[in-house]
Amino acid sequence: MKEGLVFILFLIVITSICDTINQLFLKSAINSLGESLSFNLIKVIQFVFKLARLPRVWIGFLFSVLSLCIWLFVLSKVDLNFAFSVDSMHYIFIALASQLVLKERVGWRRWLGTLFIVVGIVIVSLN
Amino acid sequence: MLKKQLTIKIVLFLVLTDILETFTHLCFKKSALTGSGFNAQSFAGIFEFLSLVFSSPFVWLGLLTVLSIFIIWSSILSKIDLSVAVPIASFSYILVPLASIVYFHERISMLRWLGIFFILIGVIFVSLSSAEKESSLR
Repeated sequence: MKEGLVFILFLIVITSICDTINQLFLKSAINSLGESLSFNLIKVIQFVFKLARLPRVWIGFLFSVLSLCIWLFVLSKVDLNFAFSVDSMHYIFIALASQLVLKERVGWRRWLGTLFIVVGIVIVSLN
Repeated sequence: MLKKQLTIKIVLFLVLTDILETFTHLCFKKSALTGSGFNAQSFAGIFEFLSLVFSSPFVWLGLLTVLSIFIIWSSILSKIDLSVAVPIASFSYILVPLASIVYFHERISMLRWLGIFFILIGVIFVSLSSAEKESSLR
């Protein structure tokens, strides 16, 4: 039983990493288009079509499909609450990856905020 | 130069993607339950599990919602940093309990309030960090 739990934890970490990679590819594709959208439906649809022509978006999409398959398996084994509390670590992955890969400036406030959120999610999910 | 300001409108759209995301998770959980007789020993077992899951209408409803989330999410990301958008999207952890108080008259334990409080502080800090970046760029 204990071994099974470790395996599930490992799978949740993998889904978190896959999700992070997906977000990175998507964000870098969007950055490469260099547009700041107004929330205008026609422009948004044009934007999404432009985005869909970038291979990076599809690589990210593959990772999210992979993550979804693993996630479905995880959910068939453990509670949604438990899975969510472990998955909250992906906020940390995102902050790290944004800083290292996308060169976003993640200052101490943003780190502190992210850590507060992770702690909060673990508390909310585990009871 | 790109303006990367966090506005109320963006926060509202983030909250919308969150509500949709919660909905997809419920759909996926429901579809995964149909295939709980899963065994990971063989590839045949995996295919059998997946074909059971994908014959459930809930998985398709979930996927449709994923598509609309993608559209909203990518327009949000064109406006703000990834390391701001993702943490602020955790707002749903606050909204869902609040909604369950208002609509279902559920009681929320002290510990859960504490968790909600932590998330709220986190979201405020992340939002402040986005404003700070804006001013340092000028």
